[in-house]
Amino acid sequence: MAFGRTAGSNECLGENCGVKPQRLETCLGSLILLLLVGIAIGIFTQQSRYDEALFRAILASSPSAAMQSQPAGSINDLQSYLPEGMVVLTPGEEFGPETLSEKIDGKAELYLAAGFLSLRTQRFAVADQPEQWLELFVYDMGNHRNAFSVYSTQQRANAREATLAQFAYSAENALFFQQGQYYVEIIGSSDRMLERLLVVGESFTRQHPAVLEGIDELALFPEDSLIPGSIALLAENVFGFDRLSHAFVGRYDLSGTELTAFLAPQPSPAAAKEMASAYYQFLLAHGGEKAVMAEPIPDAWLVKVFDTFEVVFVHGSYLGGVHEAERQDLASALAVQLKAALVRARR
Amino acid sequence: MNHPEDHDGIDRRQFLKRVGKAGVAMAGVGLLSYRLYDPHGPSAGQEYGRGQVTLPSFAQAGKKPQMAIAHGADRVQSLNLAFRALGGIEAFIQQGDRVLIKVNAAFASPPFLSATTNPELVAELARLCFKAGAAAVRVTDNPINDPESCFALSGIGLAAQSVGASLILPKDAFFQPTTLAGGTLIKNWPILFTPFDGVNKLIGVAPVKDHHRSGASMSMKNWYGLIGGRRNIFHQNINDFIKELGLLARPTLVVLDGTMSMMTNGPTGGSLSDLKPTNTLIVSTDQVAADAFGATLLGKTALDLPYLQKAEAEGVGTVDYESLHPIRLQAG
Repeated sequence: MAFGRTAGSNECLGENCGVKPQRLETCLGSLILLLLVGIAIGIFTQQSRYDEALFRAILASSPSAAMQSQPAGSINDLQSYLPEGMVVLTPGEEFGPETLSEKIDGKAELYLAAGFLSLRTQRFAVADQPEQWLELFVYDMGNHRNAFSVYSTQQRANAREATLAQFAYSAENALFFQQGQYYVEIIGSSDRMLERLLVVGESFTRQHPAVLEGIDELALFPEDSLIPGSIALLAENVFGFDRLSHAFVGRYDLSGTELTAFLAPQPSPAAAKEMASAYYQFLLAHGGEKAVMAEPIPDAWLVKVFDTFEVVFVHGSYLGGVHEAERQDLASALAVQLKAALVRARR
Repeated sequence: MNHPEDHDGIDRRQFLKRVGKAGVAMAGVGLLSYRLYDPHGPSAGQEYGRGQVTLPSFAQAGKKPQMAIAHGADRVQSLNLAFRALGGIEAFIQQGDRVLIKVNAAFASPPFLSATTNPELVAELARLCFKAGAAAVRVTDNPINDPESCFALSGIGLAAQSVGASLILPKDAFFQPTTLAGGTLIKNWPILFTPFDGVNKLIGVAPVKDHHRSGASMSMKNWYGLIGGRRNIFHQNINDFIKELGLLARPTLVVLDGTMSMMTNGPTGGSLSDLKPTNTLIVSTDQVAADAFGATLLGKTALDLPYLQKAEAEGVGTVDYESLHPIRLQAG
């Protein structure tokens, strides 16, 4: 085939040679153009009939990219955690960041802010007693800090400590725990299911032994007057300040008054100073007034916000302080206590 | 400098022709893209492909807003007491009325977790409607989880059917797009419309719950279950959206069940530890007032729930529930 090339020569091509295209070239060119027009029409027709439900279904039923990328931490078939005598009640479901709200509605935001990757859930029942069931929720949060965040921010009052994991508790009808990167909830149909919930939970922790990864900040909160189990890791928008995220808070009972201390690790001491300054300005912009501390702390500010007091200080890479204390003296006292604990920890 | 003609045999005329052709082709593609470009993207309403619908107001014209607050641990007793204080359910439901009861069946969750409307309350409300002469009572919701599982596990399905009410589970064909006049969020968006066919009374029945995003889920948030499509996107602007829900759904009355309130970890809860017996049930023709009082059961005020302020500003109702002179009653 010549394709516009002068016979016996490789020197010039197509129109450049001043040679008219051959009939075969014209036919092939037209055919290609027709094919392209056909593809364009096909794409146009298909996209106008786009059904996002199809894509949602794919996302919901296939393992998420996050799960696939973590074979070492990936969870087993949920059925494998069941004790003898329990059967499947409903098919298993899986949700990713895009679909989580289809399972837990508005609470999805809490998980998404903390780094949620995927949720697997399924309901099981006692054989021959379908009214006695449990629902297992396994949230993959990517790492143990994220998992601790959603565990700690949802802790129930009147909970009973459970021993199956470092962070675990049970309520009348439910078991909640964090194991490595997973946050697990097991909800029972009644308090009669609690024993079985514990068996399922233990089976999970046995199959997924967690590497002991500490959360350093927990030890930085002074133990004196700390309300047990009250430390939580807030993922975002801490105290209504949208720039402040990933802050630990601990509740204290000082002389019968409850106070909240906080510690927010920052990338560097300079970043901590900048964040402290920004938070201080935020408080002033929202009705706060500068106040004087009875017992001054280096790099610290005291702000009176309406009827409450806020202490903000910097220690190394940490932004720390006391939030919404009813009494100025107690706010200062707790801030001093927290600062001293940080100094001790640095030694 | 090489002249093109010297270099590859192309002359000026050919060059200009080619440039012209390329320019026309590029302009054509650009024009076609511009004509096909949809700056708004696909809206959820488009997939339903039917005409726009509008929900009528079901509020009773010419009547002053009313409210009754019954205290007690027995929902059925509290409901009857509250209606009696307001002149009986006959003051709202008349002979031949066709009533739609919008429940909160959002989750496949058993009644004891109080994440959904209590089935005993649904059954009693439907029974009272029939007793007042209602020709038909329908019960519906568009749950978050699988509808069949939600209505089965919450006990609402069985409760409705046990007193002869029709249970309407959502299907794609039941949704039609609506646009709220003056709304910024509900625009060409699908709502669960078919259950409203022939209906002339609307009652919302919701539990009092904490809600991670909006602060509380009560009467107004309950209308979220009338919305179809990818409604979770509205969580980003939840307060304005709930305000618009209040403008969209104008009920005959609402029943707000605070017999057992979900104080923490809402809207799903999951543990009895999330619940607190607050032993209060509210019946009101003003959904904003009902929710403003309901907030107090969660230890909040109307100021803590921006959507209440916004709804009041739009004339949906009043947060000053005391201005309705609510009738307070103690059951048993």
